[in-house]
Amino acid sequence: MDITLRHIGKSYKHQPVLESIGFAVNARELVSIVGPSGAGKTTLLKIIAGLETPDTGQVIFSHPVTQHHPVIIVFQDYVLFPAMTVRDNVGFGLKARHMGKIQIRNQVDRMLDYFKLTPQADQYPAQLSAGQKQRVAIARAMIVNPAVLLLDEPFANLDRNLKMETARFIRATQQAFGIPTISVTHDLEEAFAMSDRIGVLLDGRVQQFDTPRQVYFHSATPAVARFLGPVNEIPPALFPLFRVDEAVAGPLNGTPLPARPENLAIIADPEGFGRITEKTFAGHYTVYVVAADSQAYTIYSQNDRFDRDQPVSLRYRPF
Amino acid sequence: MSWTGNPGSSKITLGLILRLSPLMLPFVVLFCGGVFLTVCQSLGIFTPLRHTGGLVDAYAVILSDPSFFASAGFSFGVALASAAGSVTAATFLAYRVWQLPNALAGAALVYKIPLILPHIAVAFVVLIFWSQSGILSSLAWHLGLIQSMPDFPNVLYSGWGLGMILAYTLKGTPFAMLLILALLVRFDVRQIQTAAMLGASKRRIFFSIVLPRLAPAMHTSFIILFLYSFGAFDIPYILSESRPGMLSLHVFDLYFKHDLARRPEAMAILTLMFCFAVLFIIAYSRTVTHLETGVRKL
Repeated sequence: MDITLRHIGKSYKHQPVLESIGFAVNARELVSIVGPSGAGKTTLLKIIAGLETPDTGQVIFSHPVTQHHPVIIVFQDYVLFPAMTVRDNVGFGLKARHMGKIQIRNQVDRMLDYFKLTPQADQYPAQLSAGQKQRVAIARAMIVNPAVLLLDEPFANLDRNLKMETARFIRATQQAFGIPTISVTHDLEEAFAMSDRIGVLLDGRVQQFDTPRQVYFHSATPAVARFLGPVNEIPPALFPLFRVDEAVAGPLNGTPLPARPENLAIIADPEGFGRITEKTFAGHYTVYVVAADSQAYTIYSQNDRFDRDQPVSLRYRPF
Repeated sequence: MSWTGNPGSSKITLGLILRLSPLMLPFVVLFCGGVFLTVCQSLGIFTPLRHTGGLVDAYAVILSDPSFFASAGFSFGVALASAAGSVTAATFLAYRVWQLPNALAGAALVYKIPLILPHIAVAFVVLIFWSQSGILSSLAWHLGLIQSMPDFPNVLYSGWGLGMILAYTLKGTPFAMLLILALLVRFDVRQIQTAAMLGASKRRIFFSIVLPRLAPAMHTSFIILFLYSFGAFDIPYILSESRPGMLSLHVFDLYFKHDLARRPEAMAILTLMFCFAVLFIIAYSRTVTHLETGVRKL
């Protein structure tokens, strides 16, 4: 199943929320749409799910979406049926299809086993953790073999340490079931980790739609680059000091080179052109701010041995 | 080893009772006092006339009278049918009203009209519409459906209490709707959207998703409507039949239309009705709890 969005537009009270949104999702692909809160991500998801009608444009599915092969959205807070056990929640779609009891039981058992929910089978949603609720919601969707799975802010209600684990789990599940999946989120790290492609939704438009690496290191616009994280600008005059290759500098035609903190390396150098002005320990890396030629550069480094006021040199490392 | 209570806690309790007394006093005096006096008079104590019989004579008379059981059964049937009818109609109508677009939601407030009508007025509305000389009968005659008044079905005095059931249902439906709509306005519409996406029919969505969430309001309104219909006097006074009559009319007759010496019998019926109401609430609540064992709300 391929999905193509063409010129989707939506306004609320004459205020445009989405403008000319267009991208395509291939079968077996996991796509994330990232953007700040209130950017219209959930509205876009609801339009794809058919829960809202776009003012302009259309959503085209390569095969017809039917009641037996539906588009299913897993909402941010999972929307489990509170009066049903985990088993009944997961089997709800099959029951609605009037499947035989034994067949339902077998399929639900397999699904509970895959999603590691067997011990919780007879519990009610109120008795589950956020991560378990999410797995029930995804299992409930997956069991009906949906045409497309839509995930609304899948990491919003999870603890920080669960987010990346969940991203990997969603990725593995999507690959195992082979169902095209579109996720909207503002958790960038998790979106990068699990997605085949990422769309950046800013000011009502998808500003860039590409692979995570391309979107992060070669952002289409300064706004996209800034949204995805800190970005330094190396003026052409400093290219020799940063050892920027001609292959990189050439196409820039004299414009500054955007560089992510990960693109820069610090080298201890008593004669260096930069000086460390800030040092912040951030767990698995250290954030340095280096002043050079009246400009500040942010660098993420695994190396914690540099000190404040230490003279250093900087190097550009393309990815 | 000795145990002494915390003197501070008894002061707090006393303070709490004093602060609650403006609310508790009317309850204690009117309700508890009323029940106490009723029970006493049913036993022949504090009666206007000196009671010469035994303590439970009034109960013996009442419980040996077959017409009491007929009245009790009839009252139970009318209350059950009208409460069940009200709650069923209210659930269906409330769900439909909740689904109306915003533009029509204001117009739907018309359902509240019977709420502001007194019970006696609703009884007359039913009488005017459903009696053999009423509006529906007249309409049927004009449409050529009946040839004369007696051809119109005797709905009100058929022996089944249909007139009272109609009146109580008319009056009880908007009340139950009010309680059910209060739950529906907090109902997450995405539950319905999710169920529909998973392939559920409208019928399955209503019975599997919506109804369990409305159950608390349905049970509460059923208990209130049932007990009111079981013991109320106003509507039966207009629409009831004499045999079997409603228990409330039986009490009225014994209290106002008979010798003062029979006052304990009236009070014995009231006491039995009160005991039944308490037992009914306990039995109903236990049944519901048993049926919903384990169901937790989000």
